[in-house]
Amino acid sequence: MDCNSSGRSGNRVMLQFKLVLLGDSSVGKSSIVYRFVKDSFDEFRESTIGAAFLSQTIKISGSSEQSETVIKFEIWDTAGQERYKSLAPMYYRNANAALVVYDVTQQDSLTKARAWVNELKNKVGDEDLVICLVGNKIDLCDGDEDKRAVETGEARDYAAEQSLLFYEVSAKTGSGVRQIFESIGEKLYETKKDELAAARNRQMGSSKDQVNVQLQRPSTNDPTSCCY
Amino acid sequence: MLSPERRPSMAERRPVLSNSSSIVVPHLAGIEDPLPDSTPDKVDVLIVGTGMVESVLAAALSWQGSKVLHIDKNDHYGDSSATMTVDQIKRWVNQVNEGEYPKCYSNAKLYVSTSIENGRGRFASRDFGLDLAPKILFAKSDLLSVLVNSRVHQYLEFQSLSSFHTYENDSFEKLTNTKQEIFTDQNLPLMTKRNLMKFIKFVLNWEEQPEIWEPYSNRPIGDMLVEKFKLDKPQVFELMFSIGLCYNMHTKTPEVLQRIRRYLSSFDVYGPFSVLYSKYGGPGELSQGFCRSAAVGGAMYKLNESLASYDPSSKIAYFNDGSKVSVTEKVVISPTQAPKYNQNAPEQKYEIHRLTCIVEKSCEEWFTEGESAAVVVFPPGSLKSGNQEVVQSFILGSGSETCPKGTSIWYLSTTQQGPRAEMDLDAALEAMEASIVRESSSDLENDESILRFGPNGEPVINSVRLGQSFKEYVPREKIQFLLKLYHIQYTSTPPFAVVDPSLFDINREDSERLIPGASDNGVLYTAMPSAEISYDEVVTAAKVLYEKIVGSDDDFFDLDFEDGDDAAISKTDFENAIEDDEDDEDAEMSVGVGRSGTAECIGEMEI
Ligand SMILES: Nc1nc2c(ncn2[C@@H]2O[C@H](COP(=O)(O)OP(=O)(O)OP(=O)(O)O)[C@@H](O)[C@H]2O)c(=O)[nH]1
Ligand SMILES: [Mg+2]
Repeated sequence: MDCNSSGRSGNRVMLQFKLVLLGDSSVGKSSIVYRFVKDSFDEFRESTIGAAFLSQTIKISGSSEQSETVIKFEIWDTAGQERYKSLAPMYYRNANAALVVYDVTQQDSLTKARAWVNELKNKVGDEDLVICLVGNKIDLCDGDEDKRAVETGEARDYAAEQSLLFYEVSAKTGSGVRQIFESIGEKLYETKKDELAAARNRQMGSSKDQVNVQLQRPSTNDPTSCCY
Repeated sequence: MLSPERRPSMAERRPVLSNSSSIVVPHLAGIEDPLPDSTPDKVDVLIVGTGMVESVLAAALSWQGSKVLHIDKNDHYGDSSATMTVDQIKRWVNQVNEGEYPKCYSNAKLYVSTSIENGRGRFASRDFGLDLAPKILFAKSDLLSVLVNSRVHQYLEFQSLSSFHTYENDSFEKLTNTKQEIFTDQNLPLMTKRNLMKFIKFVLNWEEQPEIWEPYSNRPIGDMLVEKFKLDKPQVFELMFSIGLCYNMHTKTPEVLQRIRRYLSSFDVYGPFSVLYSKYGGPGELSQGFCRSAAVGGAMYKLNESLASYDPSSKIAYFNDGSKVSVTEKVVISPTQAPKYNQNAPEQKYEIHRLTCIVEKSCEEWFTEGESAAVVVFPPGSLKSGNQEVVQSFILGSGSETCPKGTSIWYLSTTQQGPRAEMDLDAALEAMEASIVRESSSDLENDESILRFGPNGEPVINSVRLGQSFKEYVPREKIQFLLKLYHIQYTSTPPFAVVDPSLFDINREDSERLIPGASDNGVLYTAMPSAEISYDEVVTAAKVLYEKIVGSDDDFFDLDFEDGDDAAISKTDFENAIEDDEDDEDAEMSVGVGRSGTAECIGEMEI
């Protein structure tokens, strides 16, 4: 199972998911991440070589249950490899969700987005991978529809045909950004909750599940205290 | 050419944040930089091949401030340390046999069962991750501290490995490696226990007691263990081959002591084990992690790109796709990716014979509860082939996520040179096969002599007794091999040495050394992976190259991350366990030195 139930206290469930961002250069991937993670926007941001590893938690109301679910996203923004499409398998391995971003003022960027969707579908084995198509920079079209190069309908049809989630957002104004992550969180929760219940039942039985070693956490400060 | 001035360090290079009060750049955040649309025209360092050493070097250089272009002729990362699917292995075997890696690999023989056929078989090619050069990671080692310092460990997952077995008298003796185990082991006479404890106490501080080991410094350690510590052959073998992971009887005493201590001082750093391995694949995964770190630090990556030639006078590198780049500092090349018409690629004198198998058995019998890996060592003379060199075997189960449930991967290797190596590998394989069939057999329940009962009456299998009755056992069942791969890998690193720095001197730039017509004048070659089963050579090799390029290794991975809670483990706490055994032994690895504060959590990030 890809998601980790990292803690349960009372009705609180904490789920962790890996989310990767893909898309043409300067469509605003990093800006979307910064808006989501820090609620800030930098007009003069040069294209990033890569912000690699950020995380942010959100709460979702869950379904009918009275429980509160906290979802932690481990966000992988693309780094320098991306310009040559030399992504390491490590990058998308075990990804639970992908944001494929294009710029609504650049027709070309949607073409690139389609290519990324195909690549993801080929390379990520997980049937449950949630892909969200995101049209960014809608603020540029406010009151100036001429600037728009990708019609909402065109992108929405494509997303429906490929069964992708779809949003139009602005990292600059923040419009729509949170919704992306909330709906991804909800969708992941829906698909994973059965597995979670199964895992919970399994925990009652044997606990043979293997534990990873956290390298930043040595078990002792004093190696002389070891068994020798 | 070495630049006379040091380039500014990472911290100096980092742009000043105008409103740093409100923005905290998260760790591993990239440096803001305009994006080139194609291959840049100018880089500081061109690195060819994305193997382990090259990738660590790329990351170290990128964070130091060098502009790095890192290419690989393959469509995947890892080069000579790649983790491959079955299909990729098939392709690689063909390349080897077509002579594409003349000095690096030969004699690849591959069998793949029809059960692994995409679409039709029970297993798919990509269910498996096979390492070309599998490695284990000591809990106290230089690479581990680099992983933590650089935070590359966050991209990876590690698991513990505590099952080390020595094969002796047709059985697998599990390593007795804790004080507790030594004292509770019913099979050890009290006297032996005492002697063993005495030796363990000595070895943790061995350099300070030259009066004990110096008389043996040019003799095999066995003499000292028997004469000074009154240990018996099984303990001697266990110490030399399972704990020390030595290759033969002739290893010199100081080397073995260093290696035994490497194991012992790694014990209990993270828990009751000394060794870790990475999930999803070994060095292939770690390489990717360092490449990603390098990319975040600004390096540019291009797969499917190969070097055609380098001209040291104009300092221009030409690629096979017609593009070119001007290189201000150095070109570093993996021997597997040497350009055509090369004449400077170093000789790879030493053979490592490898046998890799995918077996349709979970092999849990060999693993410690809750783990998914084991090491089995076949000491000299333990196999029916009469082996003179050790055969080392590294076993990974499905918990490592490199193979599906119900299967396991066995990596066997030996430093035996010449054709008898394959006989040794076959003999070891046969012994493993018979043992696992025996241990997992349902016939066991009917064999009272090897069955014991636990406190609640549940049957417990006694593995020592198992071994003893093993001889008479004729397996009914045969093991299913899903894949078998034999090949010879060559290396310039002699068994036991960590990369010989003189290797890099062949490439000095004095013009009289330039070979007319060669496509690789003036480049630096990295070393092929050595026979060493641990990662211990990697950081040393990367550092030597780093120093050649930057002029000093002072700021090798000298990183501080903006989020402040820095790696608590100072990198000087760990030094390579093997490299220093000649000159400055006492400076390194003294047990119990400054590891305060290491328990602090440094991985979590709050935003
Ligand atoms: N007007 C407007 N500009 C935006 C928006 N989002 C991003 N930008 C600008 O677009 C440029 C590129 O944004 P980045 O977030 O760096 O783009 P990226 O996709 O991360 O680019 P790479 O890292 O090069 O792949 C920056 O100048 C941003 O300020 C938006 O919603 N509206
Ligand atoms: Mg970006």
